[in-house]
Amino acid sequence: MGKWLWLRNKLVGLEADKGLLFRAFLYLLLVDVAFIYLKPVFYMMTTMVKGAPDLLDPAVIWVPTALYGGHLAEAIKMLDYAKSFGVSLTVSTASAVIQVVSCSIAGYAFARLDFPLKRFWFGALLFTFIMPAQVTILPSILLFKELGWINTFWPLLVPTLFGHGLKGALFVLIFRQFFSTLPKEMEEAARIDGAGAFRIFFRVMLPISRSAIVVVFLFSFVWSWNDAYFPSMYMFGASDVPLSVGLSKLNAQLVTEAQEGGLRAFLEPVKMGASFLIIMPLLVLYAFTQRWFVEGVERTGLVE
Amino acid sequence: MNTEHSRLEPAKRTRRRLPLLGWRKNDAVLRKVEGSLFIAPWVVGFLVFVAFPLVYSLYMSFNQVRITVTGVQTSWVGVQYYREILLADGGLLYDDLFPFLREALVMIPIIIVFSLMIAILLNLRFAGRAAFRVIFFLPVIFASGQIIGEFIAQGEGSLNVIASLGMDDRLARYLPDAWAGPIGKVIGSFVLVLWYSGVQILIFLAGRQTISGSVYEAARIDGADPWSTFWKITLPGMAPFIFLNVIYTIVDLFTYPSNPIISKVTTENYGVSSALAWIYFGIVLLFIALAFAIYARTIKSMSPRGH
Repeated sequence: MGKWLWLRNKLVGLEADKGLLFRAFLYLLLVDVAFIYLKPVFYMMTTMVKGAPDLLDPAVIWVPTALYGGHLAEAIKMLDYAKSFGVSLTVSTASAVIQVVSCSIAGYAFARLDFPLKRFWFGALLFTFIMPAQVTILPSILLFKELGWINTFWPLLVPTLFGHGLKGALFVLIFRQFFSTLPKEMEEAARIDGAGAFRIFFRVMLPISRSAIVVVFLFSFVWSWNDAYFPSMYMFGASDVPLSVGLSKLNAQLVTEAQEGGLRAFLEPVKMGASFLIIMPLLVLYAFTQRWFVEGVERTGLVE
Repeated sequence: MNTEHSRLEPAKRTRRRLPLLGWRKNDAVLRKVEGSLFIAPWVVGFLVFVAFPLVYSLYMSFNQVRITVTGVQTSWVGVQYYREILLADGGLLYDDLFPFLREALVMIPIIIVFSLMIAILLNLRFAGRAAFRVIFFLPVIFASGQIIGEFIAQGEGSLNVIASLGMDDRLARYLPDAWAGPIGKVIGSFVLVLWYSGVQILIFLAGRQTISGSVYEAARIDGADPWSTFWKITLPGMAPFIFLNVIYTIVDLFTYPSNPIISKVTTENYGVSSALAWIYFGIVLLFIALAFAIYARTIKSMSPRGH
C-alpha cells in the first residue's frame, strides 16, 4: 500500500508540476509545438541555399549538399534590398521611438492624471482599440491626399506623434496598465518636493518603466516592420517602399514571369530567400533584446 | 494615553487643515490643467485620425462618392448600399462572411485554450524554460507579416496526422455541411492556429504573474490536488485575462488584412466600401458584446453566493 502510494506520488505528484508523468507530458507538448514553430524557419533557411541539383534530388530534404547563394542574390536584387531595408528601418525605428514617447504620455495621463471627461476619453480609447482600421481607411486616404502626403512616409508617422498609428491604442493601454501598477509614493514625494507633472513624468516615471518601454518598442517595431496594409494603401505609387510591400511586389512579379513563359526554374528558393531577408533583421533584433523582453512581459502586467 | 491623544488631535488638525484646504483647491485645478496638457496630443490625434474619418466614412456610406480632379463629389443615396449588401447582392458579404465567421467561432476557443495551456506550462520551473520561452515568442515576429502567408502556401499549416486519420471524412459524415467545411479547414490548418497565438501566450504569461504563489502554497497545505488547484485557483484567477484575450483574438482575427471581407474595402467604390466596412464593424461589435455577456455571466456564477 505504502509502495503504491509512493509510486502514485512520484508519477502524478503532489502538485501539478512535480509528477514524472506530468514532466513527460510537458516536454512532449512543448517540444512538439516548438518544432512546429521552428520548422518553417529551418525550411526557409535551408531551401534558399539549395542549388539546382539539391532541389531536384529527392534524397535531399533538409540539409543541402552545397551552399548556393544565387537565389539569395536574386532575391536581394528583386527586393531592391538596400533601399527597401533603409526605408523599413527608418519607418519602423521612427514609429517605434515616437510611439513609445507619445503612447507613454497618454497612458500616464489615463493612469494617474485628472482631466475633464476622463471616462469619455477612455471609452474613446477602447473604441479605437476595437475599431477595424478599414472603417476609417478611405477617409484617411482622402485626408492625406488633401494634405499631399500620399506616397510619402508621413501618413505612417504623423498619427504616431499623437499616440495613434498602428496599434497605438493598444500601446496606450499597455502603458496605462503599467503606470497604474506602480506605487504612488514616488510621485507624491516628488510632488511635495515641488515637481510638476512634466518633471515627475520624465525624471521619475519614465526612467523606471524600462520593461514597458522594451515591450512597446519591440511590438511597435515588429508590427510596423511587418505591416504591408497601410503602406500599400498610402504609398501605392511610391518607388521607395518598405520591405513588407516589396514581398508582395516580388510575388506578383514572379507570377507574371511564370505566366509569360517561366524564365525561372525555381520560384520557391527565391521566395524563401526574400522571406528570410525580410525577417532576419527582426530575428537579430529579438536575439539582442529577448532577455529584457521576456522580463518586461512578466513585469509590465502588460494587460488589464 | 489614548484620551490625551484624542484631546490634542482636533486642535492640531484644524490648524493644519486651513492652509491645506486652499492649497488643495489650487492643486486640483493645477492637476486638471496638467492632465489636460498630457492628454491633449492624444485627443487631437483621436479627433483628426479617428473621429473625423469615422464620421466621414459613415457619411460616405450613405452617398455615391465620385473622386474628381477638383475634389470629392457626393450625392445622397440613403440606405441603398446597405440594402444592396445585406439583401440584394449576397456575393459581397455572405459568401465570404459566413464561412469566415464559422471559422472564427471554431478558432477563437482553440486559440484561447491552447495559449492558456502553453502560458501555464511556460510559467512552471523546468530545465530549458528560458530556451522555450524564446522560441514561443517567435510567432509574434512572424504572424503579423506576410511571411505567414508564405508558410501557408508551403503547406506548413497542415498536419499530416489529421489527413492520415481520415478526419475529413468523419467530419463530413457527422456534421452538417455548413460546419464541416470551416471546422475541417481549421483542423487542417491547426498549425496556423498555433501561429496566431503569439500575443495571447504573452498576455496569459503576464496575467499568470498576478496570481501570487502563496495561494498555491495554501492550497497545497490544505491538500488540494493539482486538478482542483487548476479549476479553483488558476482558472478563476485568469478569468479577466481570458476575457481580454477573447477580445484581443476577435479584434485580431477580424482586422487581419488578409481577411476576406477586409480585402473588399477598396478605393474603387468609396460608398459601397464604406457601407461594407460599417456592416463589418457592426458584426465585430456584436461578437465583442457576445463575449462580454458571456464573461459577465460567468463572473456572476463564479462569485461566491450569500456573502
